[in-house]
Amino acid sequence: MLTETTLMAGEFTVEGPLRSIPLPFLEGILGEENACIAESVVTQWVVMVILGVVFFILGRNLKLKPETKRQAAAEWIVSFFVGNVETSMGTYYKKRYAPYIGALFCFCILSCLMGLFGLRNPTADVSVTGTWALITFVLVLWTKIRTGGFKGYLHSFIEPLPFMLPFNIIGDFANPISQAMRLFGNNLSGMVIGGLVYFALGSFAIAVPAVLSLYFDLFSAVIQSYIFCTLTMSYVAMADMSE
Amino acid sequence: MGFTLSAGEFLQLVNINPATIVFTLINTAIIIALYFFFLHKPVMKIMEERKNKINSEMQAAEDAQAEAEAVKAEYTEKLKESKEEAAQIVSAAVKRAGERENQIIAEAQQEAANLKKKAEESIELEKKKAINEIKDQISDIVIMASEKVCEKEISKSDNEALINKFIAEVGNE
Repeated sequence: MLTETTLMAGEFTVEGPLRSIPLPFLEGILGEENACIAESVVTQWVVMVILGVVFFILGRNLKLKPETKRQAAAEWIVSFFVGNVETSMGTYYKKRYAPYIGALFCFCILSCLMGLFGLRNPTADVSVTGTWALITFVLVLWTKIRTGGFKGYLHSFIEPLPFMLPFNIIGDFANPISQAMRLFGNNLSGMVIGGLVYFALGSFAIAVPAVLSLYFDLFSAVIQSYIFCTLTMSYVAMADMSE
Repeated sequence: MGFTLSAGEFLQLVNINPATIVFTLINTAIIIALYFFFLHKPVMKIMEERKNKINSEMQAAEDAQAEAEAVKAEYTEKLKESKEEAAQIVSAAVKRAGERENQIIAEAQQEAANLKKKAEESIELEKKKAINEIKDQISDIVIMASEKVCEKEISKSDNEALINKFIAEVGNE
């Protein structure tokens, strides 16, 4: 696999999502550019395998009386997500959204951390963060229709005053787009800055990139994943019109 | 050495690939399923079971405590009753004993009085008997004395005075 930075006679370039496996049969529909399995998808598969194994090990052989630290960790993780969802969204959503938020957070955080292993962050691909934002958008839409009915949903566009209509429409799309762009931008900028530092230091790239990587790959990964999940929860909770 | 990013390269950076979207959706769904079935569901189940167990055990403990308190109250009541009963029995016994004591004393006094009375009667009787006996003996002695005196010469008046004097003396004894 190629790295994101290419050193060519003093030139520094940043490439978009890399193509890992071409899918020629899709060229007719998606165009030559997109007819592929991107590297971010391949990295996701790696993440999925890791998470599958971790979830399986954590969740098996649970006892009524906890004996292992493994079980304590599993219970802590699940309670953390359930508690967070309950705090931000309320009791109705606790059961329904805790698995989604937990899975999303684990997926997101491990995707971000993949940068540490020299793989390309799936979260530095706007298609990936956009997909998750799309899920948020659908959940918000569903929640509005579920709680207010279709009429209530349409009516919510002219509230509190009819002239707010354009802003409300923009707001519906702006929230998930900003959410996607925030995660994407943070990860891409980290990647670009890391590449630039490697490029600038040349063969002296020792220690300094590690510190930057600590911030961009580790700290930023946790914070941005948390923010992404929190935003998802609050957007859905705000969409609830049942009060 | 320089860093350039043309418009085409920038657009390439924010390229939205439908194939990636579809794959990401599928992958996210799989991750949710993995998380739900491997971790969330078993952990929630075990925590729910634990919660129920703790609740039922606490309920059982509360029941047992309530039962123990009821039994304790019952025993306290019974103990109190027994003490009262014992006190009653003791006081009744004391009362009966007092009555019996008085009765015994009264009987004894009665008996003593009877004995005294009998003794006095018999003494009186003995006294009378003794007096009679003495009177008889005196009569004999008088007769004997009279006979002795008669042997000597004695006037009739002297004799009479002597006898009267004698009898009076004996009567005074």
